[in-house]
Amino acid sequence: MPVLRRLTVQHALLVALIGCDHATVVAPDAQRTTRTPSVADSGAAPPATRIWPTGGSGTFPSSVSYATDLGTITTLNVSGPIETGLHGFFSPLGSNGRACITCHQPADGMSISSRSASQLWEETHGEHPLFAMIDGANCPNLPARERSSHSLLLERGLFRIALPWPPMAADGTPIEPEFTLEVIRDPAGCNLDATHGLLSAQPRVSVYRRPRPAANLKYATEIGFSFDPKNGLPLVLDHDARSPNNPTPTSGNLLADARLRTLSAQAVDALRYHADLAGEPNPTQLQQILDFETQLYTAQSSDSRAGVLTGAGAQGGPEALAKAPAARLQSSTAKPIWGEFAAWKLKEKDDHPPAPANGPVDAQRDFRSSVARGATLFATRQFLISDSTGINDTGFGNPVRNSCAFCHNMLHAGLDVAPGQVDLGTTNIPLANPLPDLPVFRLTCHLTAPPHPFLGRVIDTHDPGYALTTGKCIDIGKITAQSLRGIAARAPYFSNGSAQTLAEVIDFYDRRYALQLTDQEKLDLQHLLEVL
Amino acid sequence: MRTHASWLVLFLVLHSGGAAHAQSSASNPSAGVLRTFVACPIYRDTDAGRKSGCWLADDPSSGIRYDITLGPVKPQVGRAVLVEGITSAEPTTPCGGRVLTPVRTAVLPEPCARTIVPADAYPGRPYKSPREQLRPASEPRTLPPPPYDTRVFTIYFELGRDFLIYQYAELILEKISLYAKASQAKLVQIDGFAATAPLWVSARTLREPASLAEARANMVAEALRRLGVPSDCLRVAWHSTPQPTHDLESGQLPEASKRRVVITVKP
Repeated sequence: MPVLRRLTVQHALLVALIGCDHATVVAPDAQRTTRTPSVADSGAAPPATRIWPTGGSGTFPSSVSYATDLGTITTLNVSGPIETGLHGFFSPLGSNGRACITCHQPADGMSISSRSASQLWEETHGEHPLFAMIDGANCPNLPARERSSHSLLLERGLFRIALPWPPMAADGTPIEPEFTLEVIRDPAGCNLDATHGLLSAQPRVSVYRRPRPAANLKYATEIGFSFDPKNGLPLVLDHDARSPNNPTPTSGNLLADARLRTLSAQAVDALRYHADLAGEPNPTQLQQILDFETQLYTAQSSDSRAGVLTGAGAQGGPEALAKAPAARLQSSTAKPIWGEFAAWKLKEKDDHPPAPANGPVDAQRDFRSSVARGATLFATRQFLISDSTGINDTGFGNPVRNSCAFCHNMLHAGLDVAPGQVDLGTTNIPLANPLPDLPVFRLTCHLTAPPHPFLGRVIDTHDPGYALTTGKCIDIGKITAQSLRGIAARAPYFSNGSAQTLAEVIDFYDRRYALQLTDQEKLDLQHLLEVL
Repeated sequence: MRTHASWLVLFLVLHSGGAAHAQSSASNPSAGVLRTFVACPIYRDTDAGRKSGCWLADDPSSGIRYDITLGPVKPQVGRAVLVEGITSAEPTTPCGGRVLTPVRTAVLPEPCARTIVPADAYPGRPYKSPREQLRPASEPRTLPPPPYDTRVFTIYFELGRDFLIYQYAELILEKISLYAKASQAKLVQIDGFAATAPLWVSARTLREPASLAEARANMVAEALRRLGVPSDCLRVAWHSTPQPTHDLESGQLPEASKRRVVITVKP
């Protein structure tokens, strides 16, 4: 690189660092050892550790940043600081000591990572409310405070979700499923348990899922189009809204199985199930939860290799995320997804394969260009998508040529603008990654029902997914696409924690859809995901 | 409501002969001829960008390879496809088959060989968005102006399905809902039809079950309810053995036109 150009880049980086309002760039060697979060602009005292406590008084500032392995994750609280004492999001409203904050931590992109779970286990010897037996254990019937009883949470970041069998609509109406359900393997013992399993007095199917981030929620809830192309109908209406005579369409992008379609319904359900709240929540505290979670925006704000993610013309970080309109469809030509990092594309004359770095500026430039290449790959690299319900059975054809952005098509978030229920193979056997610690169910479609279009009438799965909401064979293994922002801070990945790293996520797709990515392309995609 | 209520009751009867039945039996290469046949679809992996792969099908009676890419619903490898299309004079260069347009295809339950062939220097066709598309929900809708008289809308379906076809049906449904709202409709009559008379094609009998007419009508009714048409305005009926219409591709696809729902909005 010419000297003049190198100086210019260095200058730009310096300006970006000085001018950064929210993100605090942490040196790579200080990352995981940093125990005190950096709070940028509120002056509020940060919590003593990177994990926010449940209950107690304090202030949640307008911006809070935490060191990660790769840089900094920042959560903006755009309506300004709030007092946490007695606040519905921070206070244990039920009987097990949990609050929303227990499982939605800013250091983990408003989800919770298996690493944080392990940290809490070590610090509290399993006494922390996170490990409540109802869902923080593999099954409530296991011995408390034994690590093995909580292995799915500690190793895969999974919580037990006990769903009614047969399925039940959100209003309690029974749904007659198109399939029978058998338990083929039950490592945790919960699905065959006399108290908690399918043969209990209140039959339940126990599946194990990652908590979705309680941030960036306008992207998960706003409506892009009034129709769902996956089922051919207009969006499902919310009849449970506070204005029952004026039902409103719902995005269907909130939960892995779309069983609840509004933030209000989700919050009440979570309080009752995860926090063991009896009865109705206090309306004031429920409103506090809704107000607070909808004013949070979380994203990676700096990277140890790239610098601040608003540097050199990029538009990463949570500020742009907070300002942008939601539910807007990307266009691979006019407005591709992850255009936030287009400014990092190398000029043609500079475009060369990554070479051994000749210094920090070259290394930064190479990393940034890798991110930009990853963004281009994500939006434009075509491959054949096949045998995926929600895509190939909806009129697009099987196979259909498209890119990652076919499904991850929402600008700034990477959600699906349409309700994102798709079977990628993350839970259905044989395509799912090996998951010996998760249950296997055998679902057999009734002869009177249409079979699964690509898997036939008998399907083995770790999680029936959307089919436990609809009762339909065609929905077996469908899982709602989720936001990709802040993803580096909340490993493991996929709804069932079947990928421990972003590299494993990319490997899954590479294998599933025969992408034939080169090692460099995989790295470019990984770098992109790491800065979101 | 069952999205695919009709799947199992679509009758597929194999016959030993069948050549005499096929409208596809002729090998006349001239344009403007209806071809109807069942085949195993072939995907040609052309790459002119997203959704640019070619769909081909060999008419079993003539051996002619047709390009069926231009239909609104794409086939699925591994499943037989019903093809109903009009031969055209368009060049075969994009995909390597005689082009059928207009063309309708329907995925059948019958299993087939999964055939994916390389592009073989065929370029495919760049995907073109439909001329008229559903607009984002964030864009305000304009209600249609008066006069408000009785208006009739028709939605066509794939053989054997009640699925509302993406980038086609939703536009009509939105127009219906807006017209019903603007005209303060007192009645929205929904008449579902199923093509219950046997269709002899490629040594098979294809026949839709009568129950599919009801399923289609109910699907449209549910769609209109979700778009805000009051339930007490909706009247649903269903019928068998419909006559063809002339408004599907100007009457060129008479069998396909039987698979429909007719919606009549009465202010």
